[in-house]
Amino acid sequence: MKRVLIVDDAMFMRSTLKMMLRKKEYEVVGEAQNGIEAIEQYKKLKPDIVTMDIHMPEMGGIDALSEIIKLNPSVKVVMISAAGDQKHVLDAMQIGAKNFIVKPFTEDKVFQVFNKL
Amino acid sequence: MVHDPMMEMYLFETGQLVNKLEQLCIASESKQDISEEIDEIFRIMHTIKGNSMMMLLEDIGKVAHRIEDLFDHLKVVTLSEKHIEKVIDFNFDAIDFFKIELDKLENNLPADGSSDALVASIEVFLSELKGEAVVFEASEDQKYFISPSNTVVEDDEGEHFFACTLFFEKDAQMENVRAFTIVHNLKDIAEDVLFIPEDIVENEKTAETIQQDGFFIVAKSMNTASIVEEYFTDLPYIDHNDFRFLSEDEYNELKVDLTGKVEEEVVVEVVKEESTLVQKEDASAPRQSFISVDVNKVDKLMDLVGELVVAESMVINNQDLIGLQLSNFDKASRQLRLVINEMQDIVMSVRMVPLTMTFQKMSRIVRDMKKKVGKDVRLNLEGETTEVDKNVIEKIGDPLMHIIRNAMDHGIEDEKTRLSVGKDRVGQIELSARHVGGNVVIKVKDDGKGLDKARIFDKAFEKGLLTETMDAYTDQEIYGMIMNAGFSTKVEVSEFSGRGVGMDVVAKNIESLGGSILIESEPGKGTEISILIPLTLAIVDGMMMRVGESIFTLPIMSIKESFIADQHEIIKDPEGQEMIMVRGVCHPLIRLNQYYEIEGDADNSKGIFVMVEHDDEQVLLFADELVGEQQVVVKSLSKYIRRVNGVTGFALLGDGRISMILDPSGFMVM
Repeated sequence: MKRVLIVDDAMFMRSTLKMMLRKKEYEVVGEAQNGIEAIEQYKKLKPDIVTMDIHMPEMGGIDALSEIIKLNPSVKVVMISAAGDQKHVLDAMQIGAKNFIVKPFTEDKVFQVFNKL
Repeated sequence: MVHDPMMEMYLFETGQLVNKLEQLCIASESKQDISEEIDEIFRIMHTIKGNSMMMLLEDIGKVAHRIEDLFDHLKVVTLSEKHIEKVIDFNFDAIDFFKIELDKLENNLPADGSSDALVASIEVFLSELKGEAVVFEASEDQKYFISPSNTVVEDDEGEHFFACTLFFEKDAQMENVRAFTIVHNLKDIAEDVLFIPEDIVENEKTAETIQQDGFFIVAKSMNTASIVEEYFTDLPYIDHNDFRFLSEDEYNELKVDLTGKVEEEVVVEVVKEESTLVQKEDASAPRQSFISVDVNKVDKLMDLVGELVVAESMVINNQDLIGLQLSNFDKASRQLRLVINEMQDIVMSVRMVPLTMTFQKMSRIVRDMKKKVGKDVRLNLEGETTEVDKNVIEKIGDPLMHIIRNAMDHGIEDEKTRLSVGKDRVGQIELSARHVGGNVVIKVKDDGKGLDKARIFDKAFEKGLLTETMDAYTDQEIYGMIMNAGFSTKVEVSEFSGRGVGMDVVAKNIESLGGSILIESEPGKGTEISILIPLTLAIVDGMMMRVGESIFTLPIMSIKESFIADQHEIIKDPEGQEMIMVRGVCHPLIRLNQYYEIEGDADNSKGIFVMVEHDDEQVLLFADELVGEQQVVVKSLSKYIRRVNGVTGFALLGDGRISMILDPSGFMVM
């Protein structure tokens, strides 16, 4: 079982991802609603994979990613981005995110991306 | 009701976001400045877009997307006042669109509204705006350096050369960014990565090229062949690829070919730059400490606590204990009662919701109407944080809306008239809420022309609602006539009010909440409509009375006094109506046994008179005995039970008996 931390300010997105991941060998160990919570949760849970939304209140996904990368440079972070959010996705990739998923996404795509991490 | 849990969640969250959005817009409109709200509105639109796209609700997503674009742009430009107004209008249009569509979904209808017109007008506005005053932040142009690789190429035996053309799936989106990701990750296992097209980072158009012609990569790796091969298998969003290993010669040839076109070896170097998303957020920002709970669960909990109250009294007032000396038991039961009381309060408070949202909605209505009826009106809110039961919130919205619309349409005069009678140009409507005892009072007060008493009376007389002369009625009674169905003194009908429907709906809604309405008005000065609603309907502090074998429960709030009187103090009027004079005022008497045609005690000379009050009217009820005070859980009347005058519901008593809960107002109409 891979342990996953889901970071998204939309409850809907969190539960959607959770429902999807539950079907395969992933265990959602934590959820965070913003970057600050994400960092805290990451420190506490040490998940294998983090899914990270980009736009969130308090602290966005890019900043949280930078912080988490500092804690663990080889962390596997998958950005969850909206269509057309090129600039931020590129930023994230350069900072060290492993891949990204564009909303709206399907189950297959999530697993494809996760399998390649 | 929606049963798909995903849809339910979507509707719940999007609904909340739309409400939040509306609040933000109203706030920014009132101060004519949107700068503080930009970030939050942007984020909300972003979330709505994401969620909606996920649910395949394209039109909702599109609208949110356009507004998001608009606000993304607003982050960098300063708006003129005129533009702010337009931006806020767009937001309200979007909010309305969302609401309509969400409403459809909630009722299991397809969200089929077209967003084209709205989207188009936002697009036009945005391009207008961009043409006028676009100031791009310098940091927006990210720099990516293409520089010669400084990796030392070693001619090791383990070296593998390879090439691969990747073809993306049709709906992959952002192919250039995906290609970049692939190259970026590939560099963990390979060196000297060359690729075509090479300007994937700077040039968004490469996405199309890649989709059509594929993305070509040439590189070499020190890792084993299987690792390299593994990397290229099952890449997400890749439809197919033609991965192949190359000989060193082939590789060098290709490299020359490629570098002939590009001047240098292309290696994407990561430039650490300040993220453009730098936010000056306080690290100690408050964490959200709320959870959302299904209302049904809260209702269930409420019900259970109610049952617990009953069960408690079943135990403590158990027949088997009567006459026993149980000091320890009494102590323990007192403790139990204390805890249960507290629990009841807490559970009740869980259901309590501030009126803020409802009041904000009214601001919105005033705002919309202001433009359409051409009157300038200011809505002053007071006590919007007053908390009331969730049921109340749900039912109070419509009545309030009607009252406010009426006030704007009929109450407040037009500008000319206002000035001519020496009033301020801007009309005032006050909407206030406060707790009074176990009730909440919501008041709508306008400074308009007031109600026309004579006209209302004429109309009521004409309709046969009032039969005496005008002097025979109090102002209250006459004003109350406007609550009747089909009652409108307004000759012309406007879009918003004046059809005579409305006030009767208001009255019905308020009644169903166990509340009452009081109308006061002064010609030329304005009208004040007060709505009095009990805080909760579920549990009543009741006084139990026995009539023969039956137990009745009266809400304690409605009891004024109770006394024992001799039978000869009862006087009869010519129609045979019994009355008792109390402190100089005659009060009609109702013997519950006769009223409900039940068997009372044979000797009722020891009975008790209970004076109940409703709307300043008093009635005496005659029962055999007062049993005692108890909190009861109100069970409403089932549909299959015929309405009985004066009975609002039932309660289960501690000993398992059923008691009828009386509603004093039911006895007033005689």
